[in-house]
Amino acid sequence: MKEKIKKLNDYEWLLPKGSRDRMNVDAKIIANKKILDMIEDDAVQQLTNVTTLPGVVEPVIGLPDMHWGYGLPMGAVGAFDAEDGIISAGLCGFDINCGINLIRTNLTIKEVRPKIKELIQALFNAVPCGVGAKGKLRLSPSELDEVLLHGMDWAIKEGYSTKDDKAATEEHGCMDGADPSKISDLAKKRGAPQLGTLGAGNHFLEVQEVTDVFEDSGPWGVREPGQIMIMVHCGSRGLGHQVATDYLKIQEQAVKKYNIWLPDPQLSCAPANSQEGHDFFDAMRAAVNYSFTNRAVMTKWIRETFEHVFGRTWEDMDMKTVYALAHNIVKLEEHTVNGEKRKLYVHRKGATRSFPGQAVLIAGSMGTSSYLLKGTEVAMAKTFGSSAHGAGRAMSRHAAIKKFWGSKVKEDLEKQGIIAQSTHPKVLSEEAPQAYKDIEAVIDSVHGSGISLKVARLAPVGVAKG
Amino acid sequence: MEKYIFIDDLTSDVLFEAFGRDLKGLFENAAEAMFSVICQLDRVGHKESRAVEVSGRDEKDLMLSWLQELIALVDTEGMFFSRFSVEEISPTKLKAVIYGEETDPAKGETVVKGVTYHKFMVEKVGGVWKARVSLDI
Repeated sequence: MKEKIKKLNDYEWLLPKGSRDRMNVDAKIIANKKILDMIEDDAVQQLTNVTTLPGVVEPVIGLPDMHWGYGLPMGAVGAFDAEDGIISAGLCGFDINCGINLIRTNLTIKEVRPKIKELIQALFNAVPCGVGAKGKLRLSPSELDEVLLHGMDWAIKEGYSTKDDKAATEEHGCMDGADPSKISDLAKKRGAPQLGTLGAGNHFLEVQEVTDVFEDSGPWGVREPGQIMIMVHCGSRGLGHQVATDYLKIQEQAVKKYNIWLPDPQLSCAPANSQEGHDFFDAMRAAVNYSFTNRAVMTKWIRETFEHVFGRTWEDMDMKTVYALAHNIVKLEEHTVNGEKRKLYVHRKGATRSFPGQAVLIAGSMGTSSYLLKGTEVAMAKTFGSSAHGAGRAMSRHAAIKKFWGSKVKEDLEKQGIIAQSTHPKVLSEEAPQAYKDIEAVIDSVHGSGISLKVARLAPVGVAKG
Repeated sequence: MEKYIFIDDLTSDVLFEAFGRDLKGLFENAAEAMFSVICQLDRVGHKESRAVEVSGRDEKDLMLSWLQELIALVDTEGMFFSRFSVEEISPTKLKAVIYGEETDPAKGETVVKGVTYHKFMVEKVGGVWKARVSLDI
């Protein structure tokens, strides 16, 4: 399939309609040449699969962190007409509102470096992480429904979060229209004890140092090299996984009921205006609210840990949320398509919203830098207001485990001055930096194409993983 | 005959094939393969048991329901499982007893988020049952 790709410029590549049968629209990949050469042919094929779905709006977008995923590649965007299109649990992904929070501090690397081992151990103890970790909260069914319905407003009411945190969160931490009654009892049973837990795999809690400031970040408060930041990456835990599982099954039946042709069963979907479509959107919004709240609760425990280690209040350390955003999500948005304003269901899977002036956070792999960027009008014109979300894997987890020893990965990180703490060594081998694409090439692609612009580079100092 | 093999085919996820001389063996081995991704099987005991009953439209749908049920049980029971005994099975219904112990992140591996439909299949080839399963982790 890659041989059908046509170069538009140094950062944009076209897969024209007709590259395969049944394509309704073009697909486009945003990447520099180095990244394009690394993208698997299967992932490009998956991008074209999405172009065959009903009501798809041109183009289906592959982002520079794009790699093979079930259904839609990770690092991709598919937009569908709100009247004639589809909405898809498969395109959204299992970890609904997997996302990133960035918290700033006024601490410097000189203050933090001598205490980094103590700090990472304390964070590791304070934030439950790893598969099977027990959460600290026990929500009653009515409390969980409040979280699902009100998101971060619940966290503010209960003292976990602040109005400033909410203002710095995508959708202000609560998507309107969430309906807890559309979520199964099983999903709620899984989610009730897990609020405020990090999870495992590629989820992490990282202490970072600002190494470069490319432009004035204004109210985001990222000022100069040496400033300490905190990044949290995780999602909606078992609740979101179960919502996705439940609606994949429901939409598998909807595909038959509405006679939708699918090139891949993982692209299960329902007409946007059908009951099955509405139900998924209402349930997904509730899972999104759970995930925003999950990260807000952990933010409180991170602040408390810093207070304990550094002996100052979190307010005195200026530990405000810079921005909190979602990766795996479906949004009903208005976009201008060929000069016409249209309502679209924008599916971002492993993709970040990049609206003009909005903060964009792109996470590096465990030993490499992450970036704070800002959204642009170019993104509105070219990618339905979207950008990349991370480095993107270059090697399977299984291959990485066979190739890298966790203890050696930890030792190599320590040589670079990065302290890593995990529940067991194998998680460090599967997340070894070499298992990911070069984050600098991903950033060059988003910055060079103009879909988001660099503000600051953040290098890891210490990381806690599940 | 091997119980299961892992295939380095998926960049982001896990793909395995499980085998069995009959449906009972196939379903037990597929469960074990999946739990070798979730936890360190050799460190997880089998002091406690849980009864499981699932149904499906056919063997393929039954496998999907079985694995999805087991993923959910890790959260709802707070347990890792290391032994799987299918007591009764037909192409549309399964009764099993599964054995394990309370979760401990130090004995964990990773969170399995879901069973995907990618390349998912259950079939009998040359007298051997085979399942291909990809997991989102």
